[in-house]
Amino acid sequence: MEHHPSLLAQWLTQILHLARHAWPGFAHGEPLSVLERYDHLLNALLAALVAMAITALVRKNLSRIPGPLQQIFEGVVEWLQGMIGDNIAHHGERYLPFIGTMALFVFFNNLFGLIPGLSPATSNWNVTLGAALVVFAYYNFHGMKEQGVGKYWLHFAGPIWWLMPLMFPLEILGLLSRILSHSLRLFGNIAGEHVVAGIFFGLMPLLLPVPMMVLGLFFGLIQTFVFTMLAVIYLSGAVSHEH
Amino acid sequence: MKKFLTTAFLFTLAAVAFAQGAPAAVQKSLFEGQFTAHIALAIAAAGCGLAQGKAVVAACEGVARNPQAAGNIRTTMIIGLALIEALVIYVLVAAFAIK
Repeated sequence: MEHHPSLLAQWLTQILHLARHAWPGFAHGEPLSVLERYDHLLNALLAALVAMAITALVRKNLSRIPGPLQQIFEGVVEWLQGMIGDNIAHHGERYLPFIGTMALFVFFNNLFGLIPGLSPATSNWNVTLGAALVVFAYYNFHGMKEQGVGKYWLHFAGPIWWLMPLMFPLEILGLLSRILSHSLRLFGNIAGEHVVAGIFFGLMPLLLPVPMMVLGLFFGLIQTFVFTMLAVIYLSGAVSHEH
Repeated sequence: MKKFLTTAFLFTLAAVAFAQGAPAAVQKSLFEGQFTAHIALAIAAAGCGLAQGKAVVAACEGVARNPQAAGNIRTTMIIGLALIEALVIYVLVAAFAIK
């Protein structure tokens, strides 16, 4: 895939007088500065900072009579609580901070594609792969903590002992391929949407990209929902006891 | 009819092959490069459209028969649609990877 550094990265490169040089094996040896080469990290950091600033603002102004922003956030937290409560039987609320953080991070990153001059960090596979790996490590850790290490891994072998040599590798493969599907789904959707919006922008910059941007808003929301939902489902599969 | 369709298909392929006939520095075969990516993406999108249509039809019927289960059906449907869509997304990623 071609690399188009975001306008923000180009602008910062010019302001800070960063040196441009070729990166072997990347973007056909085009000269890029550090910020332009790693602009997904810049965008991810920016999205995370914006998310943290907004949540800190809401937290600081918590009141008995909620303002509009507090109402939105209360709705989000209630929705996440409902989702976790539906899927995880006992004491699901202790996973709420992690799931909520993932959801906010992914959501703000998806929406950054709509701001001109920025590109969504989730349209780079490295970012979504990182998020999927964090989720993977989290649910495996909590599965082992809840069920015990031996019992958790024995879980993958299936109930019939003589099928174990067949089932265990297959289940492990399935477990590992979850990382791929979890990250590629988010990356492909956001990247594809961004590319299509870019093509529309190239055809006619005025008004034509607007419907695509509305769709982008919708897709960003849906993909956040799907990413969070799948994380909760994986988590519930890992921590649930079988009685 | 079948024979006609086969012939028509072969002629279409031949037309594409002739249209590509402009002399390039390195002669590429037909199924190399972006052409493959486009055709693969088209096939994947067609299959995905059919599958998602079936899923949405089933969900709509479910909601129409039992409106109280709308919330659960919607959640399940979105998860299912995302899983179906993921297959096209894999092809899209592969298409990005093909230069």
